[in-house]
Amino acid sequence: MPQSLFEKVWNAHVVEALPGDNALVFVDKVVAHEITTPQGALEIERRYNDALFDPNRIVAINDHVSPAKDTETAIQAKVLRDWAKRHGIVLYDMGQNGICHVVAPERGFVEPGMTLACGDSHTCTLGAFGAFALGVGSTAQGGAMLAGCLVLQRPKVMRVNVTGRLHGGATAKDLALHVIATLGFKGGTGYVLEYAGDAIAALSMDERMTLCNMAIEAGATTGMCPPDETTFSYLRGREHQPTGDAFEAKVERWRTFTADPDAAYDAEITIDIDALRPLVSWGTNPGESVPIDGVVPAGASRASLDYMGLEPGVALRSLAIDQAFIGSCTNSRLSDLRAAADVLRGRTVTVPTIVTPGSQAVKRAAEREGLHDVFQDAGALWTHSSCGPCLGMSMGVLAPGARCVSSTNRNFPGRMGAGGRVHLASPAVVAASAVLGRLGSPDELGAAVGETVNA
Amino acid sequence: MILEGGVLPVDRANVDTDQIIPAHYLTGIETTGLGKHLFTGMTGGVELLAAYPGASIIVSRENFGCGSSREHAAWSLADRGFRAVVAPSFARIFFENAYNNGIAPIVVPSDEIDALLRSPNLRIDLDAETIVRDDGGRVHFTLDPLRKQFLLSGGYMAFLASKVAAVRAWDAARAVPT
Repeated sequence: MPQSLFEKVWNAHVVEALPGDNALVFVDKVVAHEITTPQGALEIERRYNDALFDPNRIVAINDHVSPAKDTETAIQAKVLRDWAKRHGIVLYDMGQNGICHVVAPERGFVEPGMTLACGDSHTCTLGAFGAFALGVGSTAQGGAMLAGCLVLQRPKVMRVNVTGRLHGGATAKDLALHVIATLGFKGGTGYVLEYAGDAIAALSMDERMTLCNMAIEAGATTGMCPPDETTFSYLRGREHQPTGDAFEAKVERWRTFTADPDAAYDAEITIDIDALRPLVSWGTNPGESVPIDGVVPAGASRASLDYMGLEPGVALRSLAIDQAFIGSCTNSRLSDLRAAADVLRGRTVTVPTIVTPGSQAVKRAAEREGLHDVFQDAGALWTHSSCGPCLGMSMGVLAPGARCVSSTNRNFPGRMGAGGRVHLASPAVVAASAVLGRLGSPDELGAAVGETVNA
Repeated sequence: MILEGGVLPVDRANVDTDQIIPAHYLTGIETTGLGKHLFTGMTGGVELLAAYPGASIIVSRENFGCGSSREHAAWSLADRGFRAVVAPSFARIFFENAYNNGIAPIVVPSDEIDALLRSPNLRIDLDAETIVRDDGGRVHFTLDPLRKQFLLSGGYMAFLASKVAAVRAWDAARAVPT
């Protein structure tokens, strides 16, 4: 019986069938961060003798608010740190940390064919490796740490064929926004989005992570990309991977995690991206986006319009912005920072602009290339790695009514601060908007200082 | 089990978890005491709660609980005494979290929502899987049979704890470990 990629991973991990189309599913790895882990860890400590299924299957990462901003977040970090040390769990703490969805892959903690759970909805990012990577609540994460498994209802599978190629300024972020706009904000609910096609094979791992990162924004259980040479090359030499023959043996096994040609899917869509151009969100969910040269659509929901201070027909490019942010688990990897730097090099931002690398490793790599100088010469703030302003939890909170163009994943009301208005876009569009002081794209910018314009 | 109580009508779609509890309230390590932050991220949310004191059942529209995985959303609802959310659809992670925290996530057809929103009180029979409105109207629903046990007994962790030996045996027996 031909199988999809998802089915192969799922079937390899079902421990026991349970009533109601549920299954007990083995969890190979758990990523634990300081916001959602302490509750489950404390429950296990108090009621289950502090016994973990296997500490070697867990990594702990202080990521959301690191360094701590106050006593409460200091306690969260300390609880995670003490717990990790007590159990011998690998810990990435201040100085070696970053956003867990950036740190886990760059350390080689995720790989094709595995199951992975984390108390964070953007865990779907790691499906880029052909893993079944699942965001769960604290109780479920605690269950996975206690018993090495989860109770899951078997999701349906939607194959998302992507044809054509990214060009004309379109990026993986624009593809992600386009998928959500196509399916609708909840159109993926109940499904795993299994990406396929030449356009996906052509994406780098950074781009695949950006794409899978936003599967949750279509309501999907997770996203998955087929593992291939790009995946294997990325993982070769990473911290949690073996070297030499042991690694090559794993690669041979990983090659089996690919969809069979005649696999059946519960749903299937095809998206051609040749005509895709940079998108920007106008509304209060990530499905509400239009091309950057577009207008707020007729028929837009009144609640979204009122919150965003917009009316149908308003050109996105006419909207003045108060802040720009480049970062988050969607777009904070080295290639994202390079894309933003290419726009900002020799130019000056005209609104407060924050650039936050996704991990300390990304930060150091960017600095070796001089990107920190590009950002700071342009007048932007270059910070340590963190989730940053994305969720309004620590730095960079918006004032009520303030409009921010952001390379993040959520434009919900209040997401980046009570009353704050968020427009989602790619790092290049955010950078161009920061220069223009309004929503705009790189092709609107004149020559930068010292730049030769080729006609 | 019968849940009987006043309705909090949250007449909007896509109530995301940032609206239910904004991220700046996620700085604790315990699951209790979060009710005071409930709906502080929602436009008009605080006023809505104040207008329906003592409500214990939420009726809302499509895609309730979308967004972040924060179980704080379920904890804050439970802390304010909410025992059920009735909506045409839920986001997956909130749906699971609700079951694990004594909140019944009840899916009903979207054309039933208007009448449910208008009913000041509802009587929900979890065993018979029916909702009865004040006007006597009745709506049937189905709960996941396994998660219903977790709902009634708070038993998700206990259930998994009972599986540890079986899971270890399965893991030891598989041909290619990961």
